[in-house]
Amino acid sequence: MLNAFPTTLVVFYAFAALLIASAFMVILSRHPVQSALYLVLAFFASAALWIMMQAEFLGLILILVYVGAVMTLFLFVVMTIPMHTIPIDKTRLLYIGYGSLVLVLFLGVMAKIIHPLNHIVFQLNNFQAPGISGATAIGESLYTTYVFPFEIAGFLLLVAIIAAISLSWKTDRRKIINDVSAQVNVKAKDRLKIVKMKAEKPQQDSTEPVQHD
Amino acid sequence: MTYALYILLFPLFAGSLVGIFGKPLRALPSQLLTTLGVAISFILSAILFYQFIFLNHAPINQVLYSWAVADQLHLNIGFMIDRLSVMMALVVTFVSLLVHIYSFGYMYDDPSKQRFFSYISLFTFMMLALIFANNFLLLFFGWEGVGLMSYLLIGFWFQKDSANAASMKAFLVNRIADFLFLVGIAGVFAYTHSLEFSQAFIAAPSLAQTSITLFGHPASVLTVLCLLIFCGAMGKSAQMPLHVWLPESMEGPTPISALIHAATMVTAGIYLVARLSPMYQLSPTALSVVMIIGATSALFMGILGLVQTDIKRVVAYSTLSQLGYMMAGAGASAYAASIFHLFTHACFKALLFLAAGSVIIALHHEQDMRKMGGLARKLPITYITFLCGALALIALPPTSGFYSKDSIIDAVQQLNAVGSSYTYWCLTLGVFITALYTFRCFFLVFHTPTRVDDPAHVHETSSTMWIPLIILAIPSLALGYLLFKPLIIDSPSWFGNSIVANHAALQTAAAMALDSLSHLPFWLMLAGVFTAWLCYVRFPKLPTWFATRLSLIYIVLVDKYGFDRLNDFVFVKGTRKLSQFFFAIVDVKVIDEGAVHGSGKLIAYLSQWARKLQSGYLYQYVLVMILGLLVLLFWQI
Amino acid sequence: MNIVDFHILLPEILVLAMAALVLVIGLFSGRKQSSISYTLSQISLLISVVFVWNQIGMPTLYALHNMFILDAATTLSKLMILICAIFSLAYAKPFFNENPEKTHDYCLLFLFSVSGMMMLVSSNHLIPMYLSLELLSLPLYALVTIQRTGMNAEAGMKYFAMGAFASALLLYGISLVYGATASLSLSTIANSLQLLQTQYSTMALIGLVFIVAGLAFKFGAAPFHQWSPDIYQGAPTPVITLLGSAPKIAVLIMAIRLFSQSFVTFAAHWQMIWIAVAIASMALGNIAAIIQNNLRRMLAYSSIAHMGYMLLGFVTQTPGGNAAALFYVFAYALMTLAGFGALIVASNQGFEVENIEDLRGLNSRSPWIAFMILIVMFSLAGIPPSVGFFAKVGVLEAVMSVHMTWLAVLALIFAIIGCYYYIRVVKAMYFEPVEDASPLYSSWGGKVILSLNSLIILLLGIFPSSLIDLCRAVYFS
Repeated sequence: MLNAFPTTLVVFYAFAALLIASAFMVILSRHPVQSALYLVLAFFASAALWIMMQAEFLGLILILVYVGAVMTLFLFVVMTIPMHTIPIDKTRLLYIGYGSLVLVLFLGVMAKIIHPLNHIVFQLNNFQAPGISGATAIGESLYTTYVFPFEIAGFLLLVAIIAAISLSWKTDRRKIINDVSAQVNVKAKDRLKIVKMKAEKPQQDSTEPVQHD
Repeated sequence: MTYALYILLFPLFAGSLVGIFGKPLRALPSQLLTTLGVAISFILSAILFYQFIFLNHAPINQVLYSWAVADQLHLNIGFMIDRLSVMMALVVTFVSLLVHIYSFGYMYDDPSKQRFFSYISLFTFMMLALIFANNFLLLFFGWEGVGLMSYLLIGFWFQKDSANAASMKAFLVNRIADFLFLVGIAGVFAYTHSLEFSQAFIAAPSLAQTSITLFGHPASVLTVLCLLIFCGAMGKSAQMPLHVWLPESMEGPTPISALIHAATMVTAGIYLVARLSPMYQLSPTALSVVMIIGATSALFMGILGLVQTDIKRVVAYSTLSQLGYMMAGAGASAYAASIFHLFTHACFKALLFLAAGSVIIALHHEQDMRKMGGLARKLPITYITFLCGALALIALPPTSGFYSKDSIIDAVQQLNAVGSSYTYWCLTLGVFITALYTFRCFFLVFHTPTRVDDPAHVHETSSTMWIPLIILAIPSLALGYLLFKPLIIDSPSWFGNSIVANHAALQTAAAMALDSLSHLPFWLMLAGVFTAWLCYVRFPKLPTWFATRLSLIYIVLVDKYGFDRLNDFVFVKGTRKLSQFFFAIVDVKVIDEGAVHGSGKLIAYLSQWARKLQSGYLYQYVLVMILGLLVLLFWQI
Repeated sequence: MNIVDFHILLPEILVLAMAALVLVIGLFSGRKQSSISYTLSQISLLISVVFVWNQIGMPTLYALHNMFILDAATTLSKLMILICAIFSLAYAKPFFNENPEKTHDYCLLFLFSVSGMMMLVSSNHLIPMYLSLELLSLPLYALVTIQRTGMNAEAGMKYFAMGAFASALLLYGISLVYGATASLSLSTIANSLQLLQTQYSTMALIGLVFIVAGLAFKFGAAPFHQWSPDIYQGAPTPVITLLGSAPKIAVLIMAIRLFSQSFVTFAAHWQMIWIAVAIASMALGNIAAIIQNNLRRMLAYSSIAHMGYMLLGFVTQTPGGNAAALFYVFAYALMTLAGFGALIVASNQGFEVENIEDLRGLNSRSPWIAFMILIVMFSLAGIPPSVGFFAKVGVLEAVMSVHMTWLAVLALIFAIIGCYYYIRVVKAMYFEPVEDASPLYSSWGGKVILSLNSLIILLLGIFPSSLIDLCRAVYFS
């Protein structure tokens, strides 16, 4: 490996930089569709990083699920809503200022974390490939050790569905469909009511004029 | 144990139920309910009495419920059931039951019967809590509870200004006493780290040795504590100079006077001293103070009874005087005699009050003795029962009052302590005075030519009223003879270890009665009765003559030694001046403008600022969160 | 999973299963039978109470690969959570009557949220902890928005966005802790932290701060409190009875377990952080509540202040302090239930109690309800004989026992400031004239629930020691 070009390192830094840059663009771009597309890019970059860490399964799932399904859906949603570019006004600038301040401070915090660990970051190569494939390993631990969080996550998704339906369900649109059984079961007397009554003379003293059709 | 709990709970539930749902319940069911509650209590007390006195049940000292615990401070609800508390409970429930029954008649035409019955039931509960307490906390709870009920009942007819004033006075005087009592309790806790009686008793000998410096003088801790606690007892038992509220309390309905201001609540102070006798016994100074104050009250309060014209006030002053006897007895370490007198007094004084109430009802709420007279024929039952009570009060052998009072006098006579001879003379002279004012009242009400406005309409009161009178007349006459041997002579007596026993007179009851003929008090008593007869029946002009000749003394007496005037001048006016000063300078300037408004303005200002933080914009909220997080981060790393 | 495990999990399984049942039944029952889901939910909560009751006195048990723990703290707090949930759902009955079409969704989300709380207190691992916290919160976001009207939607949106942000903080903190210790189980984190190499300790510490921020958000403690006034004002009142009470119990139990078990190495650090959070909460809550005219906002700030007091017990790091905090949160949960419950009961049809002025002269319109509110307000202010008094005494005593007198004095000063706005409500009810003197008609059901709730507060104030003893038994063993 002497004098070898540090391919892994270069690839890592390239994708890491891509990830950070696209994440920035997600919040900085002024059009929502652009933001969404940058998010796709960010997913790709992080998927690549995961694959580099030999978590191929997770990396691929990330692309399949998030890029292939979630983000596509998201883009459709974004594009169906009338959107326009957000203007940069005073408050927004102010908050961008606050944001960059916070960013700097957080970078400081990160530096504080990373600084004592800098030699560890470069030990990526030392990862040992597991004897079984990633999917098998994940599946095994998901259904044994982590069955409790797995179940909770299942319920969490159920709740998310219920919540989404509950929030978007419009009750007044409910009755567009025909109620077939009601149509079949209807009886003549339900539709038509015959009322017997005595013939009456129009009242003479009525001030209103009697209507004739 | 459970019996004792139920004894308390029945009056509590009945009283609260009637208090809350009185209106929908209507009057009669409310009255029956509360009476039933107290009746059950009475029966249970009797069972308990039987178990403890005759079956020699061991005393129970048990924590029922731990209310709150803070470090060493255990606030417990616990019962001390021993011979003393059992006997006391029996007396209280007995008198309370009779007063409940009596009130059916007495409150017949009152619109707020439910309120009245609820109060007296709750009073009974509070009194029982006081009696059964095994620690200072529960004792104080009962103590304040009976005070509260007394306040409410004195002011029961709150439409009357005098009733309101009287209740307020009772409340304020008791506050002063209770404050000192509370200081005493705090002191006990500070030195023993416990509120339990048993712990205080264990610590008492060492406390007697410990001394603290108070106002530059060394004093025994125990003495200081005993005196502070005694201050509470002085307030509740209306000893001089904290007696001023008791005569005023006669503004309340008469059954209340009988129950609270004669038989039960006012004796709580004596009960307290007896209950804490293991502490008092170790402090001769405290005992002497107790004795001297008791003796002074016994004599001088009795003298005031001579000039009263209101029938209830005469009986009230007599109560003060008798409480003085009990207190003096307790001070002379004759706790058994003192409690004995408490029991007999509860019977005959309740009887006197109820009989006086009967007279008052018969005369349509007329209380002035100058408008009575010649009622013996009209109210035969009341007459006889009142006479029984009067004879017991003046201690004619062998009525109950004789045994108990002479036990006290004997004990004091045999004692050789600071102030014991003063006490002896006070008590002995008191016998004369007692006989004089009692029979003055008796003659003025029942024998002299009638001065009633409308004598034709006076007739005996209803049976619910005279039945309790008869029931009370029996123990008034016989209780002393029955209890003298077991309480005073026997060793161990019925009190067992519940109080410190101190045997003075050792004679049988019959011998004691005969022996009394050779004693000074007996002849003084006869002299008192004779004088009363002389002054009010034989020569009715005599008192007026005395009053004009000895006008100075008369004025002093009518003025009640000027206690009220002094209080009015020093405390009421002085306090008013002081409070005006505080109001003008301290309150308005310093507290209102400086502290209250100032801090209020500051807080309002801060509050406005805090409101500005809450803008309603999501990104601002998030920013605040992040900034908060960053502050925490940079602070910690 | 063997039989023992199943027994341990029974209450949670029951609630979740019943939630699924309500989901299915809700689909097939029409509008008119909306009360069926309400009844089913109440029944499931009650049965769950029975199951939890049966777990009392069990030794500490673990299940599901040590991720699920059952001990005295979880049992007691689950019991309280379920009781709060039952009360809260009962308070929601008028809401169901007015919005029958929302009943199914409401009950469903309600049950899921409760199951999230129950699993949160039993989590012994950071992943289930995080997930059950989400399971707790997600239905609440939806419940806040359930009416979809302007205020509701705004409140729900804010709550959701900020909740997501707080979750992100929590998750980030968890990931940092995992990065430093390579473990997520609460028991192994403690060991790893003790053996931690110094270069990792900053990472773990920063992770800790992030976790504190995430949990403080769930408590609604300053400076992570800003969601609560807006959400309390905007959300439907029955939802707040749940949102303001039971989750705080669950999060407290979690926080005590997490910090005093896993992060015991960093005790000095998190103690200082939580003290700062507690002081900020007490100060801000009490001061900002004073100028609130809106009762819900006032109660929201009051909740911020109360969380500060509760944290005082927790920061002492003593068993007594934890027990005091536990007692405090139980007491507070009951009080906040009664407080918002009273708003529901005091609201007539078409007349919502919003501002303090709306309670004017309530005493003459409905003395009983006024008295119940009086009890609640006195209890919130910490005036004896109500449970709030003993709760405050408990935490102050805990603080004094570790010789932080200054903190106790500070707490007391803020408590005195706090009395002002509670008593203002009482003043409005009893001493201010009425504009509309018509008697207040409220349903018997609501009245009974409110009375029960308030009388529990009063009863616990008179006889507090049974509950205090239970709380102490949890942490003294």
